[in-house]
Amino acid sequence: MTDQSTAPDQGTNGTAGEGFLSIRGLTKRYAGFTAVDNFDLEVPKGELVAFLGPSGCGKTTSLRMIAGLVPATAGRIVVGGQDLTTVETHRRDMGLVFQSYALFPHMSIARNVAFGLEMRKVPKDEIARRVREAIALVHLTGKEEHKPAQLSGGQQQRVALARALVIRPSILLLDEPLSNLDAKLRDEMRNEIRDIQKSLGITAIFVTHDQGEALTMCDKVVVMNEGRLEQVGTPVDLYERPKTAFVASFVGRTNRLKAVAKDGAAEFAGQRVPAPAGLSGPVQVMIRPHRIALSPSTGSEGVTGTIARAIFSGDILQYDVDVGGQIVSVELATRGGETVLAPGTQVSLSWRPQDIFVYGAAA
Amino acid sequence: MSAATALAPALPPRRSRLGLIVALLAPIALINAIGFLAPVLNLARMSFYEVEPTGAMREVYTLATWAKMVTDSFYAELIVNSVSVSLGITLLTLVCSYPIALYLHRSTGTWKTILLVLVISPLLTSAVVRTYGWIAILSDSGLVNNSLGALGLPPQRMMFNLTGVTIGLTEILMPYMILALLAGFGRLDPRIEEAASTLGAPPFTIFRRIILPLTLPGIALGCLLCFVLAVSSFITPKLLGGGRVFLLATEIYDQAIVTLNWPLAATLSILVLVIFGGALVLYTRALRAIL
Repeated sequence: MTDQSTAPDQGTNGTAGEGFLSIRGLTKRYAGFTAVDNFDLEVPKGELVAFLGPSGCGKTTSLRMIAGLVPATAGRIVVGGQDLTTVETHRRDMGLVFQSYALFPHMSIARNVAFGLEMRKVPKDEIARRVREAIALVHLTGKEEHKPAQLSGGQQQRVALARALVIRPSILLLDEPLSNLDAKLRDEMRNEIRDIQKSLGITAIFVTHDQGEALTMCDKVVVMNEGRLEQVGTPVDLYERPKTAFVASFVGRTNRLKAVAKDGAAEFAGQRVPAPAGLSGPVQVMIRPHRIALSPSTGSEGVTGTIARAIFSGDILQYDVDVGGQIVSVELATRGGETVLAPGTQVSLSWRPQDIFVYGAAA
Repeated sequence: MSAATALAPALPPRRSRLGLIVALLAPIALINAIGFLAPVLNLARMSFYEVEPTGAMREVYTLATWAKMVTDSFYAELIVNSVSVSLGITLLTLVCSYPIALYLHRSTGTWKTILLVLVISPLLTSAVVRTYGWIAILSDSGLVNNSLGALGLPPQRMMFNLTGVTIGLTEILMPYMILALLAGFGRLDPRIEEAASTLGAPPFTIFRRIILPLTLPGIALGCLLCFVLAVSSFITPKLLGGGRVFLLATEIYDQAIVTLNWPLAATLSILVLVIFGGALVLYTRALRAIL
């Protein structure tokens, strides 16, 4: 597996169109509700793409449709120019890592990893070699003859990863692979999965509800909400240029403030903020806590408020500032030597115009 | 002295815990001793009693009955016949029950409850009544033969032979088998089957490599239970076999009630117990090999 020259990926001959994986109009309807609605996505070869969203947003259903475990109501799934929409799961050549690992409890680790190769009728000696390499890749050499129940959660997750990778799948699908691990192990596995994915150059989809995982690991993030695709972009795109109020509040932390818009501008605490054309009436204004500058002097330009609460947590000093009845959180990176302002202190807040986002209130 | 006093406080709790265990086990041990162990020992003793030519039993010890077991090929045949018929019925019951149990395991909600009640409901009726039901279906002028006749097909002999006993016992044992299988299906997980599928396993391979091995504990349990029930079943072979199918349980009944040769009945009963012991040993070995 580590030797790329002897590991030609199956089914990767030629990338048709712009994406290696191309999803068009993918829809899943159940009686009474639509789980996934008209999902379009192009994934270039070798990219790690996150499907990010709250539970029930349709991200896992989308993944299961790509794997063929759930039949699509409408739409097409094309991989490397080959339409897989109606192809059975066992002929799709995709590696899936389950949240619950789903290892075969009656087989040893080596047998678990070998299973996919046996299905592909790979010669015995090659199976032995590739299984050994895959197990080495996930640092489990020496555990070959253990049963899954004898391994820890993190080790089981590694076996699941090795089992999915050893078949050299056209696409690696990861369904919340880290959510059953404890925090320390999660960070470790995060880097490990990313490193392995990059070194193998494999195209991968990573389903998660954790925006931290999505931002830190993935080339591209697909934000989903209630079955619909909210925004597709790089982590920087999503964070700096969120298209919808949902994305702005789901990716990173943000202040959600009420304001009123008219004549192409939203008015918030006496300050006018440019608003997208067509918006009028109540709107939401969003600004990230650490993009706000705070100065103790009143009267200077900016928004005036009163400190309601000061929270010092070492590297960050957070003020909750009461601005006209709404609480605005401000985060300042500590440099040492600052005095913590007492509640009741008058302060003025300011920000750069590009850091503020205005959305319709309905969202 | 000082060592003794240091140890002393640790002793009473252990002794009282042992006392508690004995006290908790005593009632069931007593009931078992009076209700099961004593009669079995009595049976074992009876198997060594002498039988007078008139058939009367004398309380004189002899190995004659046991010698008869060894020398008379009828009894060897009886045992082999009983065991093989029971094994066959167990296997047939397994084949008939497995798909039902698998389907039941995978159903959910109200539908599962309804199905489970349907599976258990035959147990609410006695085996005698159900056997009579089979007589109505299988007899020469029963449902099946009337239907065959109406279609112009020759009638089939399905009663007073092994066919009838097999059909009847299989149906009667199915609820037990299904429940035992369900109890042993705990390791089945749809995610595991999906994982096999994504790795390239077609449906039948998933069944052979994943589902079947994971359900082996249930299969072993169900087979043990149904084999024991089949060997000891009496009413169904008696009614559907009509005295023409010779099995251990019916033979024991005949010897005890009709021929009044109690030592022979006792000897055969002990042999049945030995067979059960053998089945239990096999089951334990099989389970150890599976897990």
